[in-house]
Amino acid sequence: MVTYTDIFSKKERVEDMELYAGAGDVNEQLARYGVKFGIYKNNEFKEQLFPFDVIPRVIDSKEFDYLEKGLKQRVVALNHFIDDIYGDKRIVKDGVVPEEFIYAGSGYLPQCEGIKPPKGIYSHISGIDLVQGKDGNWYILEDNLRIPSGASYPMIARKISRRSAPDLFTGKHIEDNRNYADLLRRTMDHVNVGGHTVILTPGRYNAAYFEHSYLAEKTGAHLVSGSELIVENDHLYFIDYSGRKEKVGAVYRRISDEYLDPMNFNRESVIGIPHIFDIYRKGNVALINAPGNGVADDKGIYYFVPKMISYYLGEEPILSNAPTYLPYYEEDMKYVMEHFDDLVLKDVAEAGGYGVVFGSKMTMEEKARFKEMLQKEPRRFIAQEVIDFLDIDIMEKGQLLPRKADLRAFVLMADEPMVWKSGLTRFSRNPDSFIVNSSQGGGFKDTWVLSQ
Amino acid sequence: MGIISVENTDRLYWLGRYTERVYSTIKIFESRFDTMIDVDDLEYKAFCKSQDIPNVYESKEDFSRKYCFSLEDENSIFSNLMRAYDNAIVLREEIGSDTLSYIQLAVYAMNQAAISKAPLIGLQKVTDNLVAFWGMADDDIDESQIRNMIKVGKLVERIDLYARLKEPPEKIRREARRLTNRIDKSTMRYSPKTMAYVNYLVQLDDVPYDALIDSVEKLVGDSM
Repeated sequence: MVTYTDIFSKKERVEDMELYAGAGDVNEQLARYGVKFGIYKNNEFKEQLFPFDVIPRVIDSKEFDYLEKGLKQRVVALNHFIDDIYGDKRIVKDGVVPEEFIYAGSGYLPQCEGIKPPKGIYSHISGIDLVQGKDGNWYILEDNLRIPSGASYPMIARKISRRSAPDLFTGKHIEDNRNYADLLRRTMDHVNVGGHTVILTPGRYNAAYFEHSYLAEKTGAHLVSGSELIVENDHLYFIDYSGRKEKVGAVYRRISDEYLDPMNFNRESVIGIPHIFDIYRKGNVALINAPGNGVADDKGIYYFVPKMISYYLGEEPILSNAPTYLPYYEEDMKYVMEHFDDLVLKDVAEAGGYGVVFGSKMTMEEKARFKEMLQKEPRRFIAQEVIDFLDIDIMEKGQLLPRKADLRAFVLMADEPMVWKSGLTRFSRNPDSFIVNSSQGGGFKDTWVLSQ
Repeated sequence: MGIISVENTDRLYWLGRYTERVYSTIKIFESRFDTMIDVDDLEYKAFCKSQDIPNVYESKEDFSRKYCFSLEDENSIFSNLMRAYDNAIVLREEIGSDTLSYIQLAVYAMNQAAISKAPLIGLQKVTDNLVAFWGMADDDIDESQIRNMIKVGKLVERIDLYARLKEPPEKIRREARRLTNRIDKSTMRYSPKTMAYVNYLVQLDDVPYDALIDSVEKLVGDSM
């Protein structure tokens, strides 16, 4: 178990706090740069600042080496899994993953059957959520292989913190996390089939619009909306102001599968590009991340990831899942019913901290209703042991207060898997809550990975 | 030269127009406000007429508050600043985060000015940020085409405003000369015939202001 207080001496910590206190408000600087996320409340769009806490999560180099190995292993296996599911389906035929967990899930897209994306990469950018338990062990909470967001926040926070408290960074041997844009560019260029690289955004009313625009600026890719792209003669083009058509070879799309192409998915989508999926199928454009990845990051599939690692790589999983039960299996259903109060239940169709309920926090009536629902729809939920997260200090009004926090690590797949030496640490601002999502009022921290 | 879409061309042009509109109307408001302090309570009525905006204000106090700060008043300075912001926020990769930050700061300054007991001092911070924005745009944006699109918007707006205020012809001629030099460099879609007509109008001894407003509004983009 390693924390900020373990790594740095008391004297250093006191000095650091003084430096932060004297450095002005980093949040003020983040506001200046419009570091916000959008949310809809009562059908109205509102932009909110994403509260930043100055005390970083610190991971020493040895511990990060371990995480890096485990994360690479996991993402490589997940790529194999997606390739297999839309190909030979060996893992199903061999009885490792039941087919109900694949074909009944909303993440499986039959349209992707038989498609091989450029360079065989499906999950170019993976956001893997982990927590550290009080026992010091790291546990994977979920894999995000569709369009994981969040890297831009620690990236810009680091830039501002270095400016506002430069002495804080002196002599600490912290890996520079401002290289995320380089890693992303390398990832996009690796699969580009020829032409421009663009970042496709649903527009400024998307929750992560700041990130779309910031990553476009920092990678030098063009930020585009669906109306600026057109498919013609089996290729994708960007139409410039003079009407000239410029070929596009890679699209880092920040819109979900269902809205990507109205001719192949949701017909009512007005933000997608008609026929883009058809030319992707022909190998004439790279889509980052590949459509159909949802089949591998479904909360139900999560249970099987350690088995995938053994199946595809013949290795023991380096990183552990949180202990998880699938009520789909009779034995697990029995356990869930008997230990209901000790478990957290997650609806596999939900994300962003929604659809998560703690057995211990339900009334008797709610429990009875939930158990009935569980019996009727066992495939819909997973149950997990409540991990006693390691608290991380945040600074509030000059006081250090313990809060629950997770870590979203980013794994990028170019010619080799790369783990960004940082990550988004999200924390709950509510002392009684485990929910860290920004949409539910959580804040964020920088993540320092030490180089020695 | 990078690639740039029709939408972004339009946004850059309007970013230039709205930032200029906010800057100029704050300056004009300041001088009218000064007159209203102890010379003429009803000065705002003449101002509304010159700007072709409906006089929906009940008093000089009502005008000062709503015209500057009400987001429900579509003609207010704040509404125009938010239009500048709406264009800027989708241009981060074209103009850069540092340049964009000054529009963001202008919005924060406007929010502060709205609750200040000395709104003119607050508004000064808004104009300071707009000037910084233009300075950054000039200095920090590599792509000359992007800089020129913003400047074309700014100059069109300035001629439009000067004409509405019936400013002296020489003042308008200077802006027309600057626009003529700039507009080709921007590579924007515009009507050379209308540009020539604007130049003809501003050279007349008795400048026909209404015709000038009409022409300059039709110079660029779809309205040409």
